[in-house]
Amino acid sequence: MIEVTDLYKSFGKLQVLRGITTRIEEKEVVVVIGPSGSGKSTFLRCLNLLEVPTSGEIVINNVSVTDPQTDINKLRAEVGMVFQHFNLFPHKTVLENITLAPQKVRGLSRAEAEERAYGLLEKIGLAEKAQVYPDSLSGGQQQRVAIARALAMQPRVMLFDEPTSALDPEMVGEVLAVMKDLPKEGITMVVVTHEMGFAREVGDRVLFMDEGQIIEEGSPENIFQNAQHDRTKTFLSKIL
Amino acid sequence: MFIKALPYLFTGAVYTIWITAIAVSLGVIIGVFMGMARISGNIILRGFARVYIDCIRGTPLLVQILIIYIGLPNLLHILTGNQMPINVYVAGIAACGLNSGAYVAEIVRAGIQSIARGQTEAARSLGMTQAQTMRYIILPQAIKRVIPPLGNEFIAMLKDTSLLSVIGVEELTRKGQLFIAVTYAPFPVYLGILLIYLAMTLSISQLVAYAERRLAVSDRSN
Repeated sequence: MIEVTDLYKSFGKLQVLRGITTRIEEKEVVVVIGPSGSGKSTFLRCLNLLEVPTSGEIVINNVSVTDPQTDINKLRAEVGMVFQHFNLFPHKTVLENITLAPQKVRGLSRAEAEERAYGLLEKIGLAEKAQVYPDSLSGGQQQRVAIARALAMQPRVMLFDEPTSALDPEMVGEVLAVMKDLPKEGITMVVVTHEMGFAREVGDRVLFMDEGQIIEEGSPENIFQNAQHDRTKTFLSKIL
Repeated sequence: MFIKALPYLFTGAVYTIWITAIAVSLGVIIGVFMGMARISGNIILRGFARVYIDCIRGTPLLVQILIIYIGLPNLLHILTGNQMPINVYVAGIAACGLNSGAYVAEIVRAGIQSIARGQTEAARSLGMTQAQTMRYIILPQAIKRVIPPLGNEFIAMLKDTSLLSVIGVEELTRKGQLFIAVTYAPFPVYLGILLIYLAMTLSISQLVAYAERRLAVSDRSN
């Protein structure tokens, strides 16, 4: 599904990614953990080309993301992303946030897009908020809407960039609950997070990154109980 | 004399308002494109916008007016051998519009850049093109932030149109001068001119404040 080969990314002199190679299978849930500055967010943002890799190759659904010939907008329509700071459109209602891209990118009619949006709002428990503006929602509600907005494009892959890091602790649960339902629908997920409970419960595989490299990867049990590398152990001992 | 001058001055004020409105409209059209060009990924567009903005903002409007009204026909005369005078209103509005465009461009650029990067990223991550992102996400939000500085630009341009009196455009200042030439009463007439400018600029700032409140409301209403 996603194949990453020898991915490098530098910002000026700073090397953020130093040779990432991995393969993510269809319907797999991969959780990326690691200390801040380890490059995990940059890695995620390379997957939909919000950051342009310095070198290396990324192939999603047999389409090369890194090939300049690729229609990147078409690819992004298949790869949803959820951001740490939600990034809802403040000048649009919750409903408009969700219906905009399906209409403009997928060419759905307004009625079709709204039907889809109401279905998603129902699912995230915010149907009654369809007509309000994002700034009247709590952080947890905003993030759920952001997830619905990405899902409205019916993507095959969802990328989550620390989706609960900007939330008050009591709101983390409601967002994770929505995320936990997604694998059932066969969506491939790559999640950068510090929520180890989520990684354990939902993750098929955990990648531990440090200093721009994948240090270790394996099933959640393997990584959490039986880490091989010192750096992984040190990191886990600080956060568990 | 002050009272007698007023009706005459008002006819000039009407010209002032029209010239300002057309010049700023022209400026907004130029400014939106130049402002976007200024931050475009295309190096030629960016360079062009930059040169335009720097040249206009770095030179006096009075000289810009003179070079368009007097300099340009002279250049055309040298090049073609024909006399091609420019209509004084066309020259005046063109000079003010081009001038305004540079200032509006900077306002537009700042407005666009004030919209957080996350908005662009969210829109692009949904598969929207750069143009769609600009049109549906960035510009609608930028417009709200741009209204107060655009109001200021309108006020500044309204005052600056007085410079057009130099080339004989019969706007408020020029009308006053003509009136003084007949009546030899400079103080009351100039005072009248001043008060009319003041009334116009204060009205505009009220209008801008009103527009700002309206837009703020539309942000929050359910």
